[in-house]
Amino acid sequence: MISNQDLPKVYTPEQVAQILQLSKNTVYDLISRGEIIAKKIGKVYRIPVSSLSFVFTGLDEDIYKAQQEDLKNIGKIHKVLSKVRKEL
Amino acid sequence: MKKVFIDSDVVISSLISNTGAAYFLLNKTDLKLFISDKSMEELERVVEELGLNKTKLKKLIKNRFRMINIKKTTEKMNDYVVDSDDAHIVEGAKQAKATFLLTYNTRHYKIDKISQALRIVVTTPAYFLQYLRSIS
Repeated sequence: MISNQDLPKVYTPEQVAQILQLSKNTVYDLISRGEIIAKKIGKVYRIPVSSLSFVFTGLDEDIYKAQQEDLKNIGKIHKVLSKVRKEL
Repeated sequence: MKKVFIDSDVVISSLISNTGAAYFLLNKTDLKLFISDKSMEELERVVEELGLNKTKLKKLIKNRFRMINIKKTTEKMNDYVVDSDDAHIVEGAKQAKATFLLTYNTRHYKIDKISQALRIVVTTPAYFLQYLRSIS
């Protein structure tokens, strides 16, 4: 069973407007241009937290994910690189 | 075209994953990329130790990079790094007249000092990609 804690957080366009310090109309405009990914449920929009990646990480979601991919191996790389730099 | 000096950890990252920020940056952007002869020496050693493809490294460097020959790393460069082993990277960036130095090891560089004295911005591949997007 899925608990509330497991569910991804979603925001209303009004909440996003407040977070990003934009007008509500600008948020709707960004949704229609695809710059903010939202889900239309009936007549209203809900915006998943992943669409607001920039607010929390300073990076767009795709760039953030690409960074995380690199960071998986960075510890191993730095260990070897620092050993090699000491030897050279 | 922006001149960008690339630290070795970014080059290695791009060889490990083709979905990471480093791969995208080194293969899918239109930038003047630089490494130094000293970086190349360490890259070959790291590639060997990590069991990566040496030919892939050489092909990437040949196709995408310009090589800076560092004759000597000046003493002054030690002022810009936490560990003097990293000083040659700053020397390379300076000699390349780069405006950016991209690394996953930003904590090892004295970023403010480098920015003020050498006018080089030290940042990560992801933040640089975000910057490129912001100006496109």
